[in-house]
Amino acid sequence: MPDYDVVVIGAGPGGYVCAIRAAQLGLKTAIVDREWLGGVCLNVGCIPSKALLKNAELAHVLRERGEYFGFSVEGLKLDYGRAVERSREVADRLVKGVGFLMKKNNIEVHMGAAILRSPNSIAVTNSEGEGVELGAKNIVVATGASAASIPGLEIDGQRVLTYREAILQTQAPKSVLIVGSGAVGLEFATIWNGYGVEVTIVEMLPRIAPLEDEDVSKELAKEFRRRGIKIMVGTKVDNIEVLKTKVKATVVGDSGKEILEAEQALVATGFRPNTAGFGLEDLGVQLAESGMVEIDERMGTNVPGIWAIGDVTGKLQLAHVAMAMGIVCAENIAGVETIELNYEMMPRATYSSPQVASFGMTEAQAEQRGYEIRVGRFPFQASGKSLGMGETAGWIKLISDARYGEILGAHLIGPEVTELLPELTLAQGMELTFTEIARNVHAHPTLSEAIMEAAHDAEGQAIHI
Amino acid sequence: MSTEVIMPRLGESLVEGTVTKWLRHPDDHIEEFEPLVEINTDKVDTEVPSPATGTVLKLYVAEGETVRAGTLLAVIGEPGEEVPDAPPADREEGATQVAPPKTADQGTPKAGRDGLGFISPVVSRIAAEHNVDLSQVSGTGSGGRITKKDVLAYIEGGRSAAPWEEPGSGELFRPTEEFFGDKPGTVPEPTGLADTVLPLDAVRTQIAEHMVRSRRTSAHVTTLMEADLGRVLAHRKEHKQSFAREGANLTLTAYFVAAAVEALKEVPIVNSSWSEAGIVLHKAANVGVAVSLGEAGLIVPVVKNAEQLSLQAIAKAINDLAERARSHKLVPDEVQGGTFTITNHGVTGSLLATPIIHQPQCAILGIGALQKRAVVIEGLSPSGEPEDSLAIRPMVYLTLTFDHRIIDGGIGDHFLGIVVQRLQSWA
Repeated sequence: MPDYDVVVIGAGPGGYVCAIRAAQLGLKTAIVDREWLGGVCLNVGCIPSKALLKNAELAHVLRERGEYFGFSVEGLKLDYGRAVERSREVADRLVKGVGFLMKKNNIEVHMGAAILRSPNSIAVTNSEGEGVELGAKNIVVATGASAASIPGLEIDGQRVLTYREAILQTQAPKSVLIVGSGAVGLEFATIWNGYGVEVTIVEMLPRIAPLEDEDVSKELAKEFRRRGIKIMVGTKVDNIEVLKTKVKATVVGDSGKEILEAEQALVATGFRPNTAGFGLEDLGVQLAESGMVEIDERMGTNVPGIWAIGDVTGKLQLAHVAMAMGIVCAENIAGVETIELNYEMMPRATYSSPQVASFGMTEAQAEQRGYEIRVGRFPFQASGKSLGMGETAGWIKLISDARYGEILGAHLIGPEVTELLPELTLAQGMELTFTEIARNVHAHPTLSEAIMEAAHDAEGQAIHI
Repeated sequence: MSTEVIMPRLGESLVEGTVTKWLRHPDDHIEEFEPLVEINTDKVDTEVPSPATGTVLKLYVAEGETVRAGTLLAVIGEPGEEVPDAPPADREEGATQVAPPKTADQGTPKAGRDGLGFISPVVSRIAAEHNVDLSQVSGTGSGGRITKKDVLAYIEGGRSAAPWEEPGSGELFRPTEEFFGDKPGTVPEPTGLADTVLPLDAVRTQIAEHMVRSRRTSAHVTTLMEADLGRVLAHRKEHKQSFAREGANLTLTAYFVAAAVEALKEVPIVNSSWSEAGIVLHKAANVGVAVSLGEAGLIVPVVKNAEQLSLQAIAKAINDLAERARSHKLVPDEVQGGTFTITNHGVTGSLLATPIIHQPQCAILGIGALQKRAVVIEGLSPSGEPEDSLAIRPMVYLTLTFDHRIIDGGIGDHFLGIVVQRLQSWA
């Protein structure tokens, strides 16, 4: 039985990063995955969807914006199949890259399903049914999460999809019903809308992007509607009937029952942690009521030697958070200096059109906590770069504590705003205030100037508005 | 020609003081070297004499205000002479020229001061608003950076983050907080007409700050033993006269200091201070002796290098310090640099107490009231059989309150045992 210092179960972004950091710290490390290196993120999540979104953006420009930019295309043909193929090439390339990184760091990769036999041993069974037993001083559970479904609804992969089938299918539907308006629902709405698919979003809560700042939800709904996406909020899906060529959904909203028909339905109502079938319960690993593995700030579970990171802990189901947790976990295992993560201040990104990026508290949350807040705003309509790009929807909203100037949160909607967060999160982490951001000279013309202007606004007065 | 009165630097490490009382007021005449103002620093009251003969023209600092050394306090000159309205900018002690004017920015501590590393703007604003000396705040951020959390925790006076380790033996080793309960709830604002508010003077404020800081800093634990002072009393009776002839009033406190010093020599870890870099073992045994000033508070003058002093020299030093403490004549350096403290709380009748450690020291010895008690003496009968008897002995309870971060219970007991042993075998 080969013995390791660390065995990571799950090779998603949390798991493989944890393994690399552990190996870098001199620990003998192995990684186990039943399916693929790179996890959902690289294979069927974050990465291929970004490829499809780029295609969708081009498709949208070609289909809708010829008049604005001054071109016309006769006989425009959009090959959705090629878009998906390109997304697979991108994903495959990155997955190979992870394989290379495992080799480079001398991390042994065991493909197969893992079961924890004890806090120190794991049985791995590969697809041929061959088994191997791994000894481990430390086990990191990084098994991720799976799409949650609606009770009583079967995901058939043809008419009713999760993100997984949706991202791999080589044809776009003519019409689609998207249930849920978190990041997954909003991004698929953007992809399909770009290709001219008739998209209807059904959200149970009173607004789309329900976890974002309320102003962001409003702005996004306005833009989506302008692009022809139908939005139904405060609406619950009662039942989805699967017919031969379409789905028929009964939804209940403020105005009563309604029947919606579409070629396909995408269920994007959230994720459930993958905690079953690994033997966690048998070893007494404590799970929260919601099924997540409970961890402390070191990423340790209640069982010494068993650790957990990423989606399975339900902290924030975001790849970059999982990676950060992976690094902290490996450092705690090795006993070297590390940090404590502040989950509230983690960046959040949705690659819809327009994009949404945020971190920290919403305006409502900050007020609820009793902060006297200061808000700075700047619209992209007043940004030179944004005008030049022809993408002027959206704005930036910064929130700070009026008393000590601490940055409490930021909410951005607009072109490429997901790229604009790091300056703000770094400033927040270092406890800088908007004074420093306003005085930090930003290159002109850039989208990032809008942050500087919003900071000026929070401090008193913006220059360009 | 007018003469400026500058806030003096009253000791090696004292850079600020509080004006407690002006003894002369504008238009009063004053002779050179006559006391002009009372200054309070770190529990010492001292008088600043006038540097010139003349008329007090203007006072720049109000009573109760705390200012740095070098600050202009007053101007003395001929009646009718012009004096500046606002105090000129701070100057260094002894400087003859007015320092270049600084921008008025006392409220905001500058980021990145020596030794503190990077101070973020948020921390800086919080510190300014709450008047926090950031050098007192320990940073938990990366590279020891003081974060918002650290400074807020410091302000709220939350208990030290150091976990309480279970020493595992007995009631004695419970934290003192458990004996006395947690800190009292907030006192309501006076509402009834019968309520009065006693203003917080500098001494009270400093005592309060120090006590709370100490409780927050050290893991206080108290161990208790008793000592039979029969031999000490006999020795004192025998030598009191001869000591008096040498000018020393031989008090019991001198014996306790002498006994403690011997124990410090045998258990040097008790003569130490906690620091982030490690436990600092002090070479000199500088023993502080708490002296009550009645309503005016408490002061702890220090017998320096007590390890080199005889009982007589210790007695003399204590007499001198206590007398000058009561007449407010102590020099600030005489209340600083202590490495161990003794409090003789028994003089006010207390049998036993759990005093608060004088920061940054490791321990404090508490002496209870001397009391004649019936004790069982274990002995042997003339025929060699065990035979116990009752006796009336002069007994005293001794407590050692120590910082459990630095020493464990066994070491505290060992130390206190040596003190007891030394007192009981005095010859």
